[in-house]
Amino acid sequence: MSISDASSGRRPRRPLFQKYFTALFIAVVVPLLANGASEAWFGYRDQKEMLSQRLRAEAGSAADKIQAFLDEITGQLQWTVQLPWRDGSDERHRFDVLRLMRQLPAVIEVMLVDGNGVERLQVSRANPDIVNSGIDRARDPAVEGARSHRIWYGPVTLYFGSEPHMTVAVAGARETYGVTVAVINLKLIWDVISAIHVGGSGDAFVLDPAGRLVAHPDISLVLRGEDDPAAARLKELQQATSGETVEGRDAEGRAVIAATAPIRGPDWTAFVEEPASEAFTPLRAALWRTGFLLLAGAIFAAGLGYLLARRMTGPIHLLEQGAAAIGAGRFDQKIDIATGDELEGLAQRFNEMAVELALSQERSERIARLKRFLAPQVAELVDGSEQEALLDSHRAEVVAIFCDLRGFTSFSHAARPEEMMGLVQEYYEALGSIITSYEATLTCFMGDGLMLLLNAPVPCPDPALRGVQMAMEMQVAVQRLMSGWRERGHVIGFGMGLAKGPAIVGRIGYEGRSDYTAIGNVVNLASRICGAAEDGQILMDAAVAAEIGDALPLVPLGSRMLRGLTETVSLFSVRPTAPNLTKLPPGKVLAVQRNAWQS
Amino acid sequence: MTVSRRTVVAAALASLPARAFAQAAKIYRVGLVSVGAPDTTVLSPAMAKEFAKLGYVEGKNIEFERLAAQGKLDRLPGFINDLVAKHVDVIVTASYPAAAAAKERAGSTPVVVTFSGDPVATGLAASLAHPGGNITGVSEIAAELSTKRLAVLKEAVPSVHAVAVLWNADDFGMTLRYQAAEVEAKRAGMLIVPLGVHAPDDFDTAFLEMTKKPPDAILMVTDVLTNLNRKRVIDFAAEHRLPAIYEYANLVHDGGLLSYGPDQRTIFERAAALTDRILKGAKPANLPLELPSRFELALNLKTAKVLGLSIPESILVRADDVIE
Repeated sequence: MSISDASSGRRPRRPLFQKYFTALFIAVVVPLLANGASEAWFGYRDQKEMLSQRLRAEAGSAADKIQAFLDEITGQLQWTVQLPWRDGSDERHRFDVLRLMRQLPAVIEVMLVDGNGVERLQVSRANPDIVNSGIDRARDPAVEGARSHRIWYGPVTLYFGSEPHMTVAVAGARETYGVTVAVINLKLIWDVISAIHVGGSGDAFVLDPAGRLVAHPDISLVLRGEDDPAAARLKELQQATSGETVEGRDAEGRAVIAATAPIRGPDWTAFVEEPASEAFTPLRAALWRTGFLLLAGAIFAAGLGYLLARRMTGPIHLLEQGAAAIGAGRFDQKIDIATGDELEGLAQRFNEMAVELALSQERSERIARLKRFLAPQVAELVDGSEQEALLDSHRAEVVAIFCDLRGFTSFSHAARPEEMMGLVQEYYEALGSIITSYEATLTCFMGDGLMLLLNAPVPCPDPALRGVQMAMEMQVAVQRLMSGWRERGHVIGFGMGLAKGPAIVGRIGYEGRSDYTAIGNVVNLASRICGAAEDGQILMDAAVAAEIGDALPLVPLGSRMLRGLTETVSLFSVRPTAPNLTKLPPGKVLAVQRNAWQS
Repeated sequence: MTVSRRTVVAAALASLPARAFAQAAKIYRVGLVSVGAPDTTVLSPAMAKEFAKLGYVEGKNIEFERLAAQGKLDRLPGFINDLVAKHVDVIVTASYPAAAAAKERAGSTPVVVTFSGDPVATGLAASLAHPGGNITGVSEIAAELSTKRLAVLKEAVPSVHAVAVLWNADDFGMTLRYQAAEVEAKRAGMLIVPLGVHAPDDFDTAFLEMTKKPPDAILMVTDVLTNLNRKRVIDFAAEHRLPAIYEYANLVHDGGLLSYGPDQRTIFERAAALTDRILKGAKPANLPLELPSRFELALNLKTAKVLGLSIPESILVRADDVIE
């Protein structure tokens, strides 16, 4: 089918599917994206806040554990400064130290200093004890520190450049109780630090104020001494810390998030660290979820867009085809859409339109046909009142009017074709408007002549008078034309003849080509009278004249034998130029006629 | 955002099970070399137990090549050559001679040393923090511990004056310990009877010496050679009613009177831990030598009773291991 080919061959610039998909995709994706972005952002913030809180809590707990390790030692050391140094108390002091060292493996050396700052005893795990060396330790920073702060923590030193040791000193409540100075092997904090686990694979470590690694689950890292590159990274982490959490790299080079807490006594810092990859696992899960939802949303939008577009394009194609069919004049084609929505309504309107168009076209065709022989207003009237029965053959009293040009045949031989056709055109145009205004029925053209009817198919009052008045106007109009023609040297005349009498009128012809005509003696008579009329003359038979009566000044010409007739005919003429006071305006005539038909 | 895509990918790759399988499938091979008898020091079940604690199951993911020289030092180079030829992953040595042989011959094979005295003093390693080469392990606190032992002995038995020192004169690390004891004896006004041994047969000579001129007590510098002959020494001490001090608690369990020294179990534990680190890819150069952090004073009161000694309170109070 050519129509559907034409419609499907034209691809839309932006198909519906594309538009629906875009709209739906945006409708689905924009909220999802907004949600995803906000979830990611707030999730990140919450996660970071939670992480920060958790890590800080862990750092505090780690610091507490380290502090507890140190407090255990200082607490035990306090027991060694509970008694004043008197004669005979040396042995007791020594026993205190020996017991302490048995309990605390981290303590590797203890020195007791009496109230006068004199060293009384030194006990070491590696060396023989030194009793009453008498060395004055009063100026020893440890002794001085302990005396002023009760507990003094020395700096971290590296034993043989490897093991971190620290000196701790505690002073008794009274000066006479003396001071105990102990060297602690910090390697043993490993038991504490390695037991701290942060999250899945996070851990804890401790730095001293100089950034030196004091404790770490990887003991080898601690023992590597100064200037170890891995430990230096931890120092960098310490420098980056600003109270909150800090992001950096740990000794193994992992990206970590760390939090710190101070260990007050020795002014160390406890760090807890968690690998960033681990810390943000829930956030990553949220991002994956959003990504998945976006994908699902896109698929959903595509699917829905496809379905909706299909539901729309099907009926639209039908409508398109229907419109094409109507355009091609096939009004009988129905558009069958049962979607129950506006499209169905639209299809119904299309169908109705097709019916109306069909009717309208039929009518206009009909009127066009009527206009072939009826004045346009009469044609409309006849069609509008559905009185086409008027066109059926019947017998009627008609006034037949004939007119033709004289000398036209000789002119047509002499004249150039264009000139001749121009002249004929002028002639018919002049007559046409008059015929139309008098609502006369044109039955046929015969070269330069015309046959007109009055009172058929539509009856009119005073058909004879109307006919003569029309004839007079026609004569005047043609005479005016002819004066021009004569100036151009064309000798052409115009005569008219009218007759009144019964005739059979009706439409004759075949499919699509029909004419309205009258058959009867009156037609023949009118034709003959016309033939008898001279240029400028309007001749009529007695029946016409009788009907006109006094309405117009008629001139009886007496009986004449006309060519082709067996009997004489009495003829009358009317002065074509005579002014006509009784002439009725055409509109008024119609109004009367309309009333007549309606009644 | 601090979580870079690279981090995520790296984390994902790290968690790939394939690697874990690969690790599980691998069977590590560790050479254990001792100068002494089988089932002692690093060849002992106590050492194997420390590996087990780290998740190693013998025959499943670890295999040990146990080599005991039974006191024959000339076998050590051959042992190390064998282990290198067998491409073991790590060589763990006990004693200075074994460590020295490994340092000389192990090439690129990592070596974990134990019971080898002070590796820095003996020149096995450059420093504790950066041992250098392929050597790491557990150092023993410098020779000074001998002075402490002498002091403990003197405190436990105050009447002691002349102390016979038995040591493996072929082991440089042990000789350093003897020398430290000699210095301390001079300081404390005691007398040292040096009884250096080179081979098991030398013990008879040493015993003869002590029989001829009995000392007040014995200090046995404990290395693989002396440890191999510990029974003879302990029996001799009991027979001649001589108080004696050793280095490790196991000798006190065997009937020795006293011992003072690093906790052996801790040494095994640290040696196993360092071996584990190396098996998992750490470079020995990044693993500092570790000093023993726990010391143990063991006392056998049964032996004391036999000897008719009353151990003073100051010794009892610090004894970590007392055999009643």
